[in-house]
Amino acid sequence: MPSRHNASNNNQTINRRNVIATIGAAGAASLAGCGGQSDGGDGGDGSDGSDGGDGELFPLDVQLEVNADNSDRLQMVELIAESMEQTGYFNTTVETYEWNTYVGRVLDPEYQNNGYVPCIGLSGTFNPGSFCNALHHSSNIGACCNLNGISDSELDEMMDDARYGVEVAEDSELRGERYDEVWNYLAEERYSSITHFNLATSVSNTDIHGFEMWPFQEGMYSYNMFAPQDEQIMWIDRDNAAGDSDLSDLTEGGTMSIAIGANIESFDPPHSSDTTSTLAQGFIYEGLIANDTQGNVHPWLAESYELIDTTDVDRTAYADYMSTVGTTEEGAVDTDEQVIVQHPEDSPAEDDEVRVLLPDDAVEAAEDGTYGMQYRYNLQEGVEFHNGDELTAEDVVATYEYAENSVLAPQTFDSVLTAVEVDEYTVDIYAQVADAEAERSLPALSILNATQIGEVEKGTIDPREGNTPIGTGPYEFSEFEDEQYFEVTKFDNYWTEQKGVSEAFSWFDGSSDFPDGPVIDGFEVEIVPDDSTRSGALQNGEIDSTYGLNSSTLDEFDSSEDFLLYEIETGGYEYIQYPVNVAPFDDARLRQAINHLIPRERIVENVFSGYGRPAWTPIPQLAQGSGTADAEALEDELRPMNEYNVERAEELLEQVAADN
Amino acid sequence: MSLQRFILKRTLSIIPIMFGVSVITFGLFHLTPGDPVTRLVALNPDVSAAEEAALRERWGLSGPVWQQYLEWISNVLVGDFGLELQTGREVSDIVWRRLPETIALGLFGWAFALIIAIPAGIYAAVNKDQLGDTVSRFLALSGISIPNFWLGLMLILIFSLYLGLFPVLAPSRQSLISPEMLWYLLLPGITIGTASAASIMRVMRTSMTEELNKEYVTAARAKGLPERTVILKHVLRNSLISVVTLAATLTASIVAGSVVVETVFNWPGLGREFINAINQREINVVMAITLFTGFFVILANLVADIVYAALDPRIRYD
Repeated sequence: MPSRHNASNNNQTINRRNVIATIGAAGAASLAGCGGQSDGGDGGDGSDGSDGGDGELFPLDVQLEVNADNSDRLQMVELIAESMEQTGYFNTTVETYEWNTYVGRVLDPEYQNNGYVPCIGLSGTFNPGSFCNALHHSSNIGACCNLNGISDSELDEMMDDARYGVEVAEDSELRGERYDEVWNYLAEERYSSITHFNLATSVSNTDIHGFEMWPFQEGMYSYNMFAPQDEQIMWIDRDNAAGDSDLSDLTEGGTMSIAIGANIESFDPPHSSDTTSTLAQGFIYEGLIANDTQGNVHPWLAESYELIDTTDVDRTAYADYMSTVGTTEEGAVDTDEQVIVQHPEDSPAEDDEVRVLLPDDAVEAAEDGTYGMQYRYNLQEGVEFHNGDELTAEDVVATYEYAENSVLAPQTFDSVLTAVEVDEYTVDIYAQVADAEAERSLPALSILNATQIGEVEKGTIDPREGNTPIGTGPYEFSEFEDEQYFEVTKFDNYWTEQKGVSEAFSWFDGSSDFPDGPVIDGFEVEIVPDDSTRSGALQNGEIDSTYGLNSSTLDEFDSSEDFLLYEIETGGYEYIQYPVNVAPFDDARLRQAINHLIPRERIVENVFSGYGRPAWTPIPQLAQGSGTADAEALEDELRPMNEYNVERAEELLEQVAADN
Repeated sequence: MSLQRFILKRTLSIIPIMFGVSVITFGLFHLTPGDPVTRLVALNPDVSAAEEAALRERWGLSGPVWQQYLEWISNVLVGDFGLELQTGREVSDIVWRRLPETIALGLFGWAFALIIAIPAGIYAAVNKDQLGDTVSRFLALSGISIPNFWLGLMLILIFSLYLGLFPVLAPSRQSLISPEMLWYLLLPGITIGTASAASIMRVMRTSMTEELNKEYVTAARAKGLPERTVILKHVLRNSLISVVTLAATLTASIVAGSVVVETVFNWPGLGREFINAINQREINVVMAITLFTGFFVILANLVADIVYAALDPRIRYD
């Protein structure tokens, strides 16, 4: 599932009257035109005939839109609407839609002409671009998730310059500075308002030691088993309660039982992208690199890697290698092969023929020296797959070919040009253009076994298809019952245990007590969609740990001595976006005013029971590593522009009114 | 009309009914917005509009509805229910795998309903207007009125969470026919059977009361038969006819109830699969389960008609 947001039921409902009583009393005096029904259509003709307010424009009819199945999000939008209404400058309506209807509606390129204010949630990553590009880049109009047609060439260029180009690719400091410019520009232009960053939580009983939440849910359990990059190891001790235990108390063995919230769509890494599939694959597969909790990159199956070359090309440079293919009536490129690069000047929706770079062309281009970046990965020797094969460059190259036309293909071939074998233990991976994100994004695939790839049909590395997933990871696939459970058991020949952790990872500088591999014998993972059943099973002692419980239950677990609650910012965020192409929303001051009326702290406290962080800046902690030169300075600068401030809002609205 | 001809006629009528069910479900499904592509990729910033269109074409979701229907039905007629689009797995495999779990739960609930309801109905009728009757009628009314999802949650809360007697998780490693399974079946079985038990009990009581007032009962009693024989041999058999009708009709409500109860108890059956499939907009799975349950309900009614004849030889089919 693309959306990772659980519609957790929040029983701490907001009393609308209460809200009216406490928010923005300042605006109550000018509360005119109450009860005006918005048709939301033409924002420019917003006044509903009321003679209150200031002149023609106010009170302005505003329609906020949200999906109904997410009760938390709906409450948040109602809170914002109420807050706007209280100033007397707005008549707000909140429209709700069923999720699929809503997605179809807001992704329609025509949506921007309606003048509505939509609200949705997205998942960000370590890549700071995931907090600005999807929302604001003009290439995402009609796709995810530039819903209101923001088309600002200056901003596009700023965002591109922060990620692409030789300068930022080689200088991370500069990259941070460029992103700071983006954040400041966005704060002034205020095309959208990010309200808060979600906190993900998990609960375990006190038998589980050394658990720490990882930034992303899908890494929650697998990263905890054994993560030298964070000096993180998880073990089970049923006799002593977890708490202040350290490495000297480590106990080996035991089976950990956990419950997850959704079925495993597939054990085939590039053919699934949902949270629980990634979680399951995390036990079995490994990548060339591993991230730590800060997003720093550490070599993993690659013993080391280096950036060999960066060149200053853009995607038109591949024109000479491109093939010309037709397009379908639906506006798709008519080829069964993976399109690595599509010529930026061609459009499959409008043209009958487009120029595209296909996989073989890409290899040719890279060999001729046409590429953005060349990274060289030196593989660890003596890494054994679960089927006994040794990891070689062939496996890596096969893995990249296997990703063609997979679910992960769009994000993989957003940056990867091709992977080429240099010798048995060396692979070059090329980036299409100089890309500051390349160090993380190029080696992002889980490495598969070339023998298996040669034997199976694409997308069928899955027990339901009769194929046992084979990786190099610390756990071997053991059993799977669709929609019920899966089990993994410790792999006896796991390579870091053979080598020793300090031998395996030259960067490892942790304690000598740190074990050479995971110490838990196996995992039993129950698939339980209903969160209250998961919480009951945890209370009943049927499982050791779970996540995604609703916030009221969390408080109970938090106050219990028998359970430990963990929380972390995962990069999930929610935002509203202004219809900037419809008057009077084309006036930045109006958008800034509404932004000042968003009660961010109240949203986090009341709607999300404190399990969230107000978005004082548009990036959460996990993206601050590469997304800003100085996180504190950025927050000092931007926070005043994002605080709830009725006076400032009214001042701005007065200015808007005066100019109309 | 002979029984054979009756069965033949009713069996043939299944065809137009199933056709109607399929057309309506297929049509309704296409009225709901969104398809698996929206679910899968629409909110993924990495996927472009062209890639989305390509996926829709590959999955056969781009033509007009009637065209999609014709394609689907022509495959179904040769026994091919298609693939689950997002995972590429055979729909018939999915249904066959889930079916035993739902049958186990349904049978258990159904047996629970009959075992509770028939003796309770007899007891209430024999002791009409006495305390026992009032209490059982009150319980029956409550049983009908309590929504099954609520009952299920309450049972979990009391018997699993407070008393710790039953597991919260559904069985995943147990074989369907095993003593431990009883432990797992009890709470969901009671939940799914309660409403049916209540209706059956009420019908049982009413029809039994009616029979008890008939002359043959007086005659039997007058001839000196023990009350036990009068009730169990004569009255019970005659009053069962309406119960049989109801019990057959209730299979439909048990099938429908399984959708809710399986969700509440996380039971790995067809009902939960159905809800999942609707949420994921997996049309092939939804269609297969709808057809299957529709067929099953029609079959249950047919069986009821046949059992009538066994119970009351006077009944003729025409």
